[in-house]
Amino acid sequence: MENKLKKLQDSFVKQLKKVGTLNVLEELEQDFFARKTGKMSLVMKEMKDLSEDMRKEVGKTANEIKQIMVGGIEEKKQELKRKKWDDVAKAEKIDVTQPLVPRREQGNIHTITQAMWHMEDVAKRMGFMVEDGPELDSDYYCFEALNIPAYHPARDSQDTFYIKGNEKMCMRPHVSNMQVRLLKKYGAPLRIAYPGRVYRNEALDSTHEHTFEQFEAFVVDKNITVGHLIGVMKELISGFYGKEMDVRLRPGYFPFVEPGFELDIKYTDVNGNEKWMEMLGCGLMHPNVIREAGLDPAEYQGLAFGIGFDRLVMLKYHIEDIRHLRSGDLRFLKQF
Amino acid sequence: MLISKNWLSDYVNLEKVTPEDLAEKLTIRTVEIEGVSTLGELLHNVVIGLVNKVEKHPDADRLKVCHVDIGNGEVQVVCGGSNVTKGMKVALGKLGAKVKWHGEEELIELKKTKIRGVESFGMICASEEIGLGELFPQKDEKEIIDLSHLDFEIGTPLMKALAQDDVVLEVDNKSMTHRPDLWGHYGIAREASAIYQKKLIEYKPAKIKAGRKRKLSAKVKDKILCPRYMAVAMSGIKIGSSPSWMQSRLQSVGVRPINNIVDITNYVMLDIGQPMHAFDGSKIGDEIIIRNAKKGEGIDTLDGQKQTLTSENLVIADKNKAIAIAGVIGGANSEVEEGTTDIVFESANFDSTNVRKTSTAIGVRTDSSSRFEKSLDPNNAEIALRRAVELVKELIPGAEVSSNIVDESNFELNQGPIEIDFSYIEERIGESIEMGIAVNILDRLGFGVKVKGGVFSVSVPSWRATKDISIAEDIVEEVARIYGYENIQPTLPTFGIKPPANNPIRSLERKITEQLAYGQGYSEVHNYSFVSGQTIVRVGLNKKDYLELDNPVSKERPYLRKHLIPNLLEKIEMNAHRFNSVKLFEIGRTFDNKNIERQDTMLAVAFTQKGNDVPFYEVSNAVTDSLNNKEIEIISTSGKTGLPFINPGRFAEIKVNGTDVGFVGELHPATQEAFGIDNRVAIAEINLSVLSGLVLEEGSYSRLPVYPSVIHDIALVVDKSVEHAQIVNTVLKSNNLVVNAELFDVFEGKKLGESKKSMAYHIEYRSDEKTLETEEVGKIEKKIKEVLKKKFGANIRD
Repeated sequence: MENKLKKLQDSFVKQLKKVGTLNVLEELEQDFFARKTGKMSLVMKEMKDLSEDMRKEVGKTANEIKQIMVGGIEEKKQELKRKKWDDVAKAEKIDVTQPLVPRREQGNIHTITQAMWHMEDVAKRMGFMVEDGPELDSDYYCFEALNIPAYHPARDSQDTFYIKGNEKMCMRPHVSNMQVRLLKKYGAPLRIAYPGRVYRNEALDSTHEHTFEQFEAFVVDKNITVGHLIGVMKELISGFYGKEMDVRLRPGYFPFVEPGFELDIKYTDVNGNEKWMEMLGCGLMHPNVIREAGLDPAEYQGLAFGIGFDRLVMLKYHIEDIRHLRSGDLRFLKQF
Repeated sequence: MLISKNWLSDYVNLEKVTPEDLAEKLTIRTVEIEGVSTLGELLHNVVIGLVNKVEKHPDADRLKVCHVDIGNGEVQVVCGGSNVTKGMKVALGKLGAKVKWHGEEELIELKKTKIRGVESFGMICASEEIGLGELFPQKDEKEIIDLSHLDFEIGTPLMKALAQDDVVLEVDNKSMTHRPDLWGHYGIAREASAIYQKKLIEYKPAKIKAGRKRKLSAKVKDKILCPRYMAVAMSGIKIGSSPSWMQSRLQSVGVRPINNIVDITNYVMLDIGQPMHAFDGSKIGDEIIIRNAKKGEGIDTLDGQKQTLTSENLVIADKNKAIAIAGVIGGANSEVEEGTTDIVFESANFDSTNVRKTSTAIGVRTDSSSRFEKSLDPNNAEIALRRAVELVKELIPGAEVSSNIVDESNFELNQGPIEIDFSYIEERIGESIEMGIAVNILDRLGFGVKVKGGVFSVSVPSWRATKDISIAEDIVEEVARIYGYENIQPTLPTFGIKPPANNPIRSLERKITEQLAYGQGYSEVHNYSFVSGQTIVRVGLNKKDYLELDNPVSKERPYLRKHLIPNLLEKIEMNAHRFNSVKLFEIGRTFDNKNIERQDTMLAVAFTQKGNDVPFYEVSNAVTDSLNNKEIEIISTSGKTGLPFINPGRFAEIKVNGTDVGFVGELHPATQEAFGIDNRVAIAEINLSVLSGLVLEEGSYSRLPVYPSVIHDIALVVDKSVEHAQIVNTVLKSNNLVVNAELFDVFEGKKLGESKKSMAYHIEYRSDEKTLETEEVGKIEKKIKEVLKKKFGANIRD
């Protein structure tokens, strides 16, 4: 009996090895385990005729062999199924380099908007409020309140756009028109940024625009110093570029600050040379401006800075012509 | 402005200072230096030679053999110069000199050589061969430089003779518009003396002794426009070239020598920044009048132009005629010429604004006008005049002062003193500084400082007192900049940790921008705020309703935009030539002539696509999805757009929480044609200023359904006039077990009839209490169909 079982097992193992398809496996399973005709089923039936002792002993062996055989079939079944799907998968090979057709349309945010947001975010993290203001404003807020006297060249019509029939109103030449307005609105101490569009009467060419975007901010508090100005600038610019930046201050003249500075940042040009690049204008707010806002300059001082974004973006991407920025040309816009 | 280092060295010892360091220090302490150039890089081993003998080359027709005296001997050189003659002074390149060979990039070092059998020990140079092409323009390729006019010893290195052993700094003029004192070498030298702690040599030309031959007078009509007028006449003048040293100096800073008198006025201006003028003394009367021009008064100026003036312009005149435009340019009628023997020097001070306005009005900017514009120190008029007279006497033997010295002086400067606590200086800088250092800085810059108990009493030097320095903060700046901004420690101000307030409109702008760009595929444009008359007409609006610039850059775009759409349409048109689908949006300010203060921030969206006849839905969806707010509603109106450029049949108002915030629509076909756009254009405009002011619901949550829903479709044919919104409303209201009605198909076609459309909806039924039975749903569905039939005359399709 046991011999028979062994032989059966050997024959099964031999046949199982040769099985290549699920159909053949099915046949093999039937051949051995079909309830009435299966070879194994028949052997199992024969066991009824054995003595109880033998039955116990042989039964144990038979069961073990059966388990192994059933396990073998199951294993083979999984293997063949996997193989079947592998073939399906192979047959389904696609060109993965091909894009989605038709393409999903992708929009773009203007590069200046992106730069502006970026700077705004840094300023916000440093505790600055962000505020908007009028682009068409009175010459009081654009000039007078900023210590720019009536005869100053900046007020000339070849620099500033005025409104026909309303000579007191002009397109703001800088966002500094917000300085006194904001101080009057919120009082001191105050940390505030005010980005926006500004206008200069300038003939358009590849490096000159009459419309551009500025970002300005100030801190007004007691005991503000040049040291604070340098510190705040360094933090802000390092925040903007995402790394520690070297900055230097040099004298610069703006009527609404005293002292006034130009701020340069150190950068490495394409040839690997370190150079200073002019980035922004800044200074301690002129006492006349503080006074104009209704504060006592002996008590409150301010630091202020202003950045033009066009040049910054042009330098970053090596944009050769400023006119691209406001061309509305999708070939340009889609690159950012 | 160009600054010569050698020239500076007349006043301050900069021997040990490298040009690079000087440029950097001036940049971070005083004014921006844009460039440093070393002159005469090609002049090593080039000397002034005298041609003693010129012989024909035995073996070449075009070559000559020259014997040239080079001071310490004579050399033989073979020369191809077309103009070389005996007795000529030439630029002789000795062996070892490096020259630029015609057409070659690399420099060639001169070596002893044989040219067609004759030995040559150097070269007689043409100007371009030694980098002097600009100083001595070459008429032809073979022409060598003729230096016979130079009165230097034979053998003098050319670098020295032409003052080319110099370094020239280029100052960014824009960085010193507030510093009238820096527009000459002496002013820069003063800064260098403070920066390097070197002694500044005093500028002290001799007093002028008056002459008696001529009695000059000056009458200043407007003392504000001309705070000082000085003049003096000189006789015995012989017009000729100025000496080499002066020519070289002028040339080194880019000024072309003209003649001795003109060169002197230029020299003095470049020396101390005071513009001067010399009249031919015989061509003007004895009484000089400084007056406003008569309206329409004409004058021929030195640049060969004819100017017509207005009463705003100030002129210098004698009894009969205007002889100069004050501070800007001289008149041709009194020009110094070759035969001039008498001159009248003018050294004056004019009102900065008036000079600027005149110069702008007549379109003439001169070295003189650009200096007077900066508010010059009237005291300099006198110093300059003295210096000029001194130079004339030095350069022209026999020249003498022939008149009295005219000085009409009416100015007052506020020279302080400014009282300032030393501690205030430290507080503003944020750094403690030795008091002695601060005093020293101010002293070197020419300020007078008296210290008493920690309080500075600072008197302002006249050259800084015209507009530059007037308050304590100005003094802080002077100390800080020379002390060195790089020596100030960066610190941060301290603040409470209260978070800054949010700005709702900017948050809204950002959210919508991101949604439209990254969610809906629209690209953001920045258009000008100015719009053209043509575009206004194209969109059917009236130019009269627009604010207009008084002085537009472009005559074509003088109006301030009232809507963003018109300029956006120009970009749609432009891009539609290149792209099948153009999706653009812009966020920006608009301007209203009726309410100038308002300047609302608007959003405009536009879309066009080849072959798309109804782009409306793309934009209406983009807008609603971007706003992503349950309270937003697209409300159809019966054709009342209020805007002529909108198609009244394809227009809807956008309301949020019942408030009107904008519209979505399509461009009127007539406007579309006017802009030359081939396909229909969908547009939307939303007033973000209004929208951001609305208090909107902050999202809401419904529990997930416990029981399954049943979805049945209903398809119906209705009149085209029936709106989707009406159908949905009707369906939803028909029974509270109807929870959603989603449109999934719309079509029109001839089979349906001209005025009909077919619409198909997924209708979703659900109860919160039980699983719905088919029968129950069927009943509701039947009822819905009946209502639709009754209300809209719908034909239900099965």
